[in-house]
Formats: sequence, structure tokens, C-alpha cells
Amino acid sequence: MTAPAAADVAIGDAVTPFSRTVTQEQINAYADASGDHNPIHLDPDFARSVGLPGTIAHGLLEMGILADAIASWAGGNQNLLSLSCRFSKPLLPGDTIICTGTVTSVDDAGIATLEVGASSDRGDRVLTNGRATVRFSH
Amino acid sequence: MPDQSHVGRRYSAPGQRIAPEAARAVAAAIAGGDPVREAESVPPTFAAVYCLAPALAQLFSDQEVGIDLAGLIHGEQSFEWPAQVHPGDVVDATAEITGIDTRRGMTLVRLAMEATRPADDTVVCRATSLMIVRAPA
Repeated sequence: MTAPAAADVAIGDAVTPFSRTVTQEQINAYADASGDHNPIHLDPDFARSVGLPGTIAHGLLEMGILADAIASWAGGNQNLLSLSCRFSKPLLPGDTIICTGTVTSVDDAGIATLEVGASSDRGDRVLTNGRATVRFSH
Repeated sequence: MPDQSHVGRRYSAPGQRIAPEAARAVAAAIAGGDPVREAESVPPTFAAVYCLAPALAQLFSDQEVGIDLAGLIHGEQSFEWPAQVHPGDVVDATAEITGIDTRRGMTLVRLAMEATRPADDTVVCRATSLMIVRAPA
């Protein structure tokens, strides 16, 4: 994968549109892979008992998908230098997560700062206050 | 219950191996039904496994802090990757409780973590987490 050249990246540029439907099977797979078996992600009855509508995706799974969206646009994982966000609303199995990002600054070293976030196809803003830094080649 | 006296507590988890099969499993779970984008690369948020998870495991089992897992919400997360990790790397993870505040019956626990690769003395990840502990019903 080739990163865009820094000279081609400008304030206001948007991350390539990226969406992914998250299934319960995927949440189960993330629980096994990450070791986070909290029952709010796996057991609908338990999730409802703590006031959730049902099982919810791991915030870190959502953040992983957001990282995928940004790294894909930026030319690879090695170009993603930082990522932060708030887990504002739960993402439910069957929801499609829609990741967005906009360049807010580019410095002389070819490092772009982005405002990033993610919404569900039901209209919930699931990842908010997101910020990423990305390195582009000179 | 966590309180101000726990700020500054440190946890240490040396010798975390970036197992290639574990990194691939996380990459596959993130990809879901899509093809994995970079099969031979460690996904950036795999830091949740080598940097965050060992710290959280120690924090959650720290009886003196006494976090109630039933009421726990992951509120915020940040990662910074000063250098890339590679499959097979071994890293040392450390964590510190940097803040504990109470707000509207909720306890906000802030953590700072760092993972260093001793082979070349390089920091590969810095992370912060905000964990929210809801008051028991």
C-alpha cells in the first residue's frame, strides 16, 4: 500500500467513506481474540439485566474498525500514529458502523491531524471526540 | 471503592509477547466479513491486548482498589504508537492510576499505560483509559 504524498493532503480532506456491519459472531470472535469476555457483549439476558437493550459491541472493536478505516485511507497501519475517542453510545449486533474523518491540520513533517468519529446506521453517534494523527510521505 | 488514595498505584506486566496468531485473530475479528487488510501486520488497536489488558487485569484484581466490574463502563481511550510492533516482539507493559474522581454517583478512574520493547529500548505504545464505575443499584 502506498500512502498519499503529504503535498496531496489538505485541510478539509475526508477519509475515504468506510462502513462495516457488525454481527454477534464478530463480537464473539473479538471476545475470544482479545480475551474480553464481559457478558454485556455475549449474553443478551445479562446485558438486559444491567439496562442495555441487548448485547453490545466492545468499544475497542469499534475503535479497531475506525483504525482500519483511517489506516486504509492513509496507506497502512504503520502510518497511523495515534487515535483517541470517547465511547458515547453502544453499537448493537446487526448495526452498521459508519466511520468518518476530516483533516484539520498538516504540519511541515507531513503529519496530518484529523477529527474522526463513527455513527451507527440507526443514527447514534457511537464514537465521538475522536482525534487521529497520520503520517504521510514527503 | 476506588478513592483518591489509590492515585499513583502502579502495575507492571513485563514480557508480553506479541503472538502472531493472537494478532491475526484480532485483525480477523475487526475485519468481520471483510478481508483482513494487512495480514502480516499487527493491528494498531492490538495494543488493547499487549498494553491495556495486562494493566486492567491487575487493576480489576486489586482488592484494595475494589472496582465493581458489574458497574464498569469503558468511557474513553487513547493510543499513541511512537513505533510499530511486529509479530513475535516482546514488550513490557506498565500502568499507573492517574486520577480518581466522583461525579453524580459515578467514579471515574483514569489510567496511563506504556509498552516498551526492551530489545531496542523503544516505546511502542502510550495509552490512556477512562473507566467509569457506576454506583451499585
